Amino acid sequence: MNAIAVFKNRWLAFLMLLPTLVVLGLFLYYPALETLRLSLYRANFVFQTETFVGLAQFQQLLTDPAYYQSLLQTVIFCALVVFLGLAFGLSLAILANQPIHGAAVYRSLLLYPYALSPAIAGTLWLFMFNPEVGLVNNILRTLFGIAPRWLDNPILAFTLVVFAAVWKNIGYNLAFYTAALQNLPGELLEAAALDGATPWQRFRYVTLPLLSPITFFLFFVNLTYAVFDTFSLVDILTAGGPTLGKTGITTFLIYRVYQDGFQNFQTGFAAAQAILMLIMVGGITVLQFRVGRRVNYGA
Amino acid sequence: MKRKLLTLLSVSLSTLVMAQSVTVEFWHTFGDPKRGGWIQAKADAFNKANPNIKVVPTFKGSYPDIMQAATLAARQGKPPALVQMYEIGSQFALDSGIFQPVGNVGPIDTADYIKPVLNYYTINGKVNSIPFNSSSPVLYFNKDLMKKAGLDPAKPPMTFGELTAACGKIAAANLGVKCFGMSLNGWFFEQWMAEQGALLANNGNGRKGRATEVLLTSEPAKRIVSWLKDMNDKGYYTYTGKLEDWDGSDAIFTDAKVVFHITSTADIVNINDAAKKTGFEMGVGFLPIPDGVKRNGVVIGGASLWITKGIPKEQAEAALKFALYMTNTDNMAEWHKLTGYYPVRLSSIELLKKEGWLNAQAPQLVAFNQLLETIPNEATAGALIGPFQQVRRIVEETIQKVFSGASVDAALSEAKTRADAALKEYNASVK
Repeated sequence: MNAIAVFKNRWLAFLMLLPTLVVLGLFLYYPALETLRLSLYRANFVFQTETFVGLAQFQQLLTDPAYYQSLLQTVIFCALVVFLGLAFGLSLAILANQPIHGAAVYRSLLLYPYALSPAIAGTLWLFMFNPEVGLVNNILRTLFGIAPRWLDNPILAFTLVVFAAVWKNIGYNLAFYTAALQNLPGELLEAAALDGATPWQRFRYVTLPLLSPITFFLFFVNLTYAVFDTFSLVDILTAGGPTLGKTGITTFLIYRVYQDGFQNFQTGFAAAQAILMLIMVGGITVLQFRVGRRVNYGA
Repeated sequence: MKRKLLTLLSVSLSTLVMAQSVTVEFWHTFGDPKRGGWIQAKADAFNKANPNIKVVPTFKGSYPDIMQAATLAARQGKPPALVQMYEIGSQFALDSGIFQPVGNVGPIDTADYIKPVLNYYTINGKVNSIPFNSSSPVLYFNKDLMKKAGLDPAKPPMTFGELTAACGKIAAANLGVKCFGMSLNGWFFEQWMAEQGALLANNGNGRKGRATEVLLTSEPAKRIVSWLKDMNDKGYYTYTGKLEDWDGSDAIFTDAKVVFHITSTADIVNINDAAKKTGFEMGVGFLPIPDGVKRNGVVIGGASLWITKGIPKEQAEAALKFALYMTNTDNMAEWHKLTGYYPVRLSSIELLKKEGWLNAQAPQLVAFNQLLETIPNEATAGALIGPFQQVRRIVEETIQKVFSGASVDAALSEAKTRADAALKEYNASVK
């Protein structure tokens, strides 16, 4: 007996898949191919002009110091957002998971930033960190007599965007970690406790390894979030600025695609950048599948 | 035979329907209830008076969004008849090839428009679009804070030097506020170039021929950036750090955290309301200009109404009819009172004077005079640059770099290289 159910009629199987294939083809594969084609043209969407330039736009990008700076900034940003996002998410999940009164209330409150739209979150932070009238500087001025210009200083602006991005996504990480913590097999922790493991040892050697599948999953979700979904937050909070060196310190790869493609209407040039990003994301995906095989999902 | 007959029938039927009602899609950028609602109300009134025309205004997002949507619609054969486009998008709109000069659609009484406004939208001797929401930057000041610092609110600073000196007094008075807080915005830089009679782009600001160079290393350009640097270095200037953060800078001023502010006349009403709420009296003055130059005037900012190409004649005419109705004498006066945008018609100004509005509301009068005293020439006609938004951004980034320590000369020459490259790239992509 074969345990896997098989469609007797191959065509029926295809028919069932058809809606998905049509949607994928129309909204994913066709645009992707079109992007690939456009990357070889100097194209302007509005004028509908296209001149074949071969790989010139890729060459232009790969010899552009501003592009490398943007790439480096993106890598640092992603690393920080993913690491801090997971660390804070897990710490808060553990705290919110303690058997205390009103734990459910804390958990819901902690989830709340995730429910905000990025546009609202961006506007909120923008006004909180307004140097003259913002809440944060009002407090700092009263307590320490300082009032930094948050979005003007490259280091501060970068840090601010990192924390805004982490804060915005904390609810998501918290939700997954909370669910995972609640499903941990209690007997293992109990056995460890009986064997005399300290709370830290119980966390380090029992809880953390047991959480690894969820950590693995969240790692890639957060990475995708940092690369693509932080766009609107950046747009509203810093608009890619402030300038440091060759480009804005928060001009990440995705933001540059937006600037060139939709503000400067250099459709072909933006397409070339999209292709480079596709290659990078492709690399990460391969990595995910490779490492994924080794992750222990438990029995 | 039968099919032919049917086609004939359906064609004649559709013409019949057309004759009964022409639909005019109007795409604009006002998403707020105040201004968007005003446009809708005008469309409703117009539709009532013209039963054979149906104007449908739609909010379509920012100006670049509208441009993109209109081009796409034109390519699919369904362009909106009427599109609102910002002034710096003029060259771009022209190059897109989806619009026709409004002068080709029907007669327009050009004598009734304020000259500098009409100048901006006249390209190659043709009126391309109908001026609608027009504005220019003015100085806003907090009269109460000025008095506290021993300054005379009746004599606001008119030059860079006077503003710097006023800031010195404010710093000395120790009021716990900064002196000056405009948003970091390329628009002001463009205005200061025009005020000095300097061109922003070669070939007569791109009006004699396509611009190929952005004149960012000229003496007037250096004067502007050096002054801003000085203001920032002395700690007189503040802004949120985000480029073009209009709201953030307005909030700093209306919260009485700075004494001076520069922004569009379009905000006079809103800022005045907010100032009253905070509890101070706002004043409005001419845009301060570099010392030692003759005041040449401002470039008109804002937007105008464009009619698309390739639509039926009666639709284009209906679009023009509505555009002229919405910007007629009464409506422009009303629009001005509601927002602070200039009434672009001379007859509207007459009307407002007759009503006593201009005498009662001094702030608006300052704004008018600034525009009326503008000398019409190539500098104040404004530059026509295809990738204007990109150039504006380069200028803003340059000022930011200078704030963080770069030398004015080096930063501006790098800016020129970047802007020229953008221009070259753009010109190459135009057919």
